[in-house]
Amino acid sequence: MPGASSRLIAIACGTAGLAGFFALWQVIGHYQLAGLSWPPLTAVLQYLFDPDRHALFLRAIDATLRSTIAGYLIGALTGIGLASIAYTLPMLQRGSDRFAAVVNSIPSIALGPIFLILISREATPAGVASIHVFFIVYVSMNSGLASTSQAHEDLFSALGSSRLKRFLRLNFPSAVPAIASGLRLSWPAALIGAIIGEWFGAPRGIGILIINSMQNFQINLLWSAVLLAAMASLFFFGMLTLVERAAYRRFR
Amino acid sequence: MARFFVLNWGILLILVAWEGWVAANDFNPIVMPSPQGVFMDMISNPGIYVENTSVTLFVAAVGLAGGLAVGTGLAILTWSSPLLSGIVSPTAVLFSSVPVVSLIPIIARILGYNMATEIAIVVIITFFPSFVFTTAGLRDLPHGSQDLFSVLGASRRATLRRLALPAAVPNMAIALRLAAAHAILAAMIAEFLMGTTGLGYLFAVTKQEFLTERAFGTSVVATAISVAAFLATSLLERRIRARFT
Amino acid sequence: MTGAAISIEHVTKRFPLKGQSAGVMALEDISIAVEQSEFVALLGPSGCGKSTLLRLVASLERPTEGTVSIGGEAPGSLAARHALGVAFQDHALLPWLNVHDNIALPFSLANKPVDREAVGGLIDLVGLNGFETARPGQLSGGMRQRVSIARSLVLSPEVLLLDEPFGALDAVTRRQMNIELQRIWSRQRITTVLVTHSVDEALFLADRVLVLSARPGRIIREVATPFDRPRDPAVMRSATFHDLVDDLTDALHPTDATAHAGR
Repeated sequence: MPGASSRLIAIACGTAGLAGFFALWQVIGHYQLAGLSWPPLTAVLQYLFDPDRHALFLRAIDATLRSTIAGYLIGALTGIGLASIAYTLPMLQRGSDRFAAVVNSIPSIALGPIFLILISREATPAGVASIHVFFIVYVSMNSGLASTSQAHEDLFSALGSSRLKRFLRLNFPSAVPAIASGLRLSWPAALIGAIIGEWFGAPRGIGILIINSMQNFQINLLWSAVLLAAMASLFFFGMLTLVERAAYRRFR
Repeated sequence: MARFFVLNWGILLILVAWEGWVAANDFNPIVMPSPQGVFMDMISNPGIYVENTSVTLFVAAVGLAGGLAVGTGLAILTWSSPLLSGIVSPTAVLFSSVPVVSLIPIIARILGYNMATEIAIVVIITFFPSFVFTTAGLRDLPHGSQDLFSVLGASRRATLRRLALPAAVPNMAIALRLAAAHAILAAMIAEFLMGTTGLGYLFAVTKQEFLTERAFGTSVVATAISVAAFLATSLLERRIRARFT
Repeated sequence: MTGAAISIEHVTKRFPLKGQSAGVMALEDISIAVEQSEFVALLGPSGCGKSTLLRLVASLERPTEGTVSIGGEAPGSLAARHALGVAFQDHALLPWLNVHDNIALPFSLANKPVDREAVGGLIDLVGLNGFETARPGQLSGGMRQRVSIARSLVLSPEVLLLDEPFGALDAVTRRQMNIELQRIWSRQRITTVLVTHSVDEALFLADRVLVLSARPGRIIREVATPFDRPRDPAVMRSATFHDLVDDLTDALHPTDATAHAGR
């Protein structure tokens, strides 16, 4: 079977690429080709999985993930809500597009102080994360709604459907795959938002570890925190990819 | 006039809510300035704003150009070698799902705190969308065109120039739009963390010195240039899309 | 007798086009009267405006000049009363609903409880027993069109509008679908307008065939089919049928000697 063997080759190549990447990381770190700030992979892993630091890392990732998930949910619901309103009230559409673009363009580091005053130190990471997610989900849902086929629109018109029914039974389901894509893509953005939000005085979190270790030359801690954030991102990203696939299978 | 409201009701809403919120709580301008106060600071000290904005724009633009060049170059390289593509692509996809902003402190540590590092950070951050979208575009060819080029005996290089690259242009435009927004954000975060010059630096300093009106002014300027970059690249993308599809 | 009569009076339709102030003339001064329980086929080359004509009756477009009315009502109010049945070349099935739910869709759009018996009966009628829970992606092209036809009939509409419903099917399946549609229609006899570019299909299914010219669309030929209902597929092998096919094909693609309609 040529399909199976080419798939095997692809997996082998991909694994080789990843292995090469990690090997390069190790070699550069081991021979200090990039100076003292680039530790070998093994040193970082050793540091990260040292039982003495389990509590430290667990507390940090727990706080960051809580903020990320809260912001993610709020942002996704707001994005879906605004996109739905703008679609059903077309006179608001262009203004709400611009509103979303402007809100998204406020630099994340400037959002921090605003949320600090608006809500609280503890809730700021979730607030910044929610803004990132809001925009991606809003834009994805808009393009999903616009992808409703003309034949379906005609069918609903000829059958005398009301606007609300048309939205609920046609436009929204048509947009589900695009929304799922937006939900997948916005996860890393949510994590970035939470990490930046933590820089503004959150009591704990990965962002705090990153910024403190950067300023205090704790190189292994810095790399461990970043690696941990990357792993958390990848894990949820993978899960959301499965959700997205299911949405495409179900709604296409 | 009506058109203005149709387009900008959301922004007006933000400004009115901001002003009303500050007035209702009677905030000290150090805690939370009003839009008026921020505006006054901006028009009375234009020099500081212009200087730092131009630095940030320079860093973002040079980094963006570099990131797009490297991303496109690597995409073409992997296009011409299926083996290389198989090796590099999974790692690149992996990276595109990692919170790249968290890499900024690491890059800063490795390369040192200066403008070259800031530009390098923007290059690295804008490289990902460029590589991912261009790679996808080079493979998303019009149906049957690949067969046509094979039948006509086109060389690999001719296929790239006459078929794959033109087919990838709309995707490159998407990459440009995404990367442009990333570029300004990355430049500002780099400046914020490393503290040399630019809007990010101005923001960090004024925030620490409780010059809150100027910190907000910096944010307003940064937002404005991000919006301008977003609108310009969206327009460009639409034009390019209309031309190439 | 079921259904309502359709009256199209002096209808002209122009589409705006950039750079041309007059726009494109799709239909010019068309008048057609479709009687109650009559099956009329509109035959014409592609781009002759026959689909536009159907879209006018379906309330999806408005005429530039003239009027369209169904049983004395505007098409829009018929749509609002959920009294239209439609099937298009694009089957327009919702990919996330199964066969049963797709056929039942018009009930929920009409705010009516789903009549499971009616849906089941139609599934039976179009021969999709056992496929109730299949989704459109799992069906062949012919089966999807059967679902589409069943959906168009489920509310017992006053008017049935069919726009190339079998246009995307292969010749064998298409012929089979024609035979089935003929059988189904002969039972219910709903006022029907069919748009097609297949001469055989038009003659086999319709009571009356109207031929439209290329843009702007005008009626250039009208033929009443002399076959009894229900029709046996053997009709298609009769000499009368073949003569009518030749006659209509000639009207559709005038040879140089007979050309007269162009301008």
